[in-house]
Amino acid sequence: MNVWLWGATALLVGLVPCGALAVRASRIDALVALQLAGTVTTLTLVLLSEGFNRASYMGLPLALAFLSFVGTLLIARFLGRHV
Amino acid sequence: MTVHGVVIGVLVGLGVAGELLCCLGLVVMRDVYDRLHYAMASTAVPPFLIAAAVLVEEGWTQPGINALVVAIVLFVLNPILAHATARAARSRRG
Repeated sequence: MNVWLWGATALLVGLVPCGALAVRASRIDALVALQLAGTVTTLTLVLLSEGFNRASYMGLPLALAFLSFVGTLLIARFLGRHV
Repeated sequence: MTVHGVVIGVLVGLGVAGELLCCLGLVVMRDVYDRLHYAMASTAVPPFLIAAAVLVEEGWTQPGINALVVAIVLFVLNPILAHATARAARSRRG
């Protein structure tokens, strides 16, 4: 274990409150929790990539940052119009 | 432990602590707008601290630049999400 992997493990703990809020709170609050979970997961992947010393893995958080943005934006638009 | 290792440890520690603080704020706050504030704060400083740690470790190589691009993408795109979410919350409130 190095400092990167310790950081990634600590960040994964941060997904627990996001998941709990997404399950228990209203839909719009769950959307905010999803946004934060996307950011936490992205940074966890950055730390894991560095921790395992695999430069090629660094493309994954970059893709997730874009895809998480598009997905959450679509849900926000849908919630605002139809639900 | 070298100065190099200490700098990386401090940057990663501060970045992770910032993210966890935002996760805590998300649970503690009662209003959707307050929660949105914490969700957006998580994309402001902590990603740049972690990108700085990667840059200290790797220098201006592919992983370092990639980490910096990830931080910039999060910083630039997430305010758009905050705006869309706040609009959705407002329209649902009536």
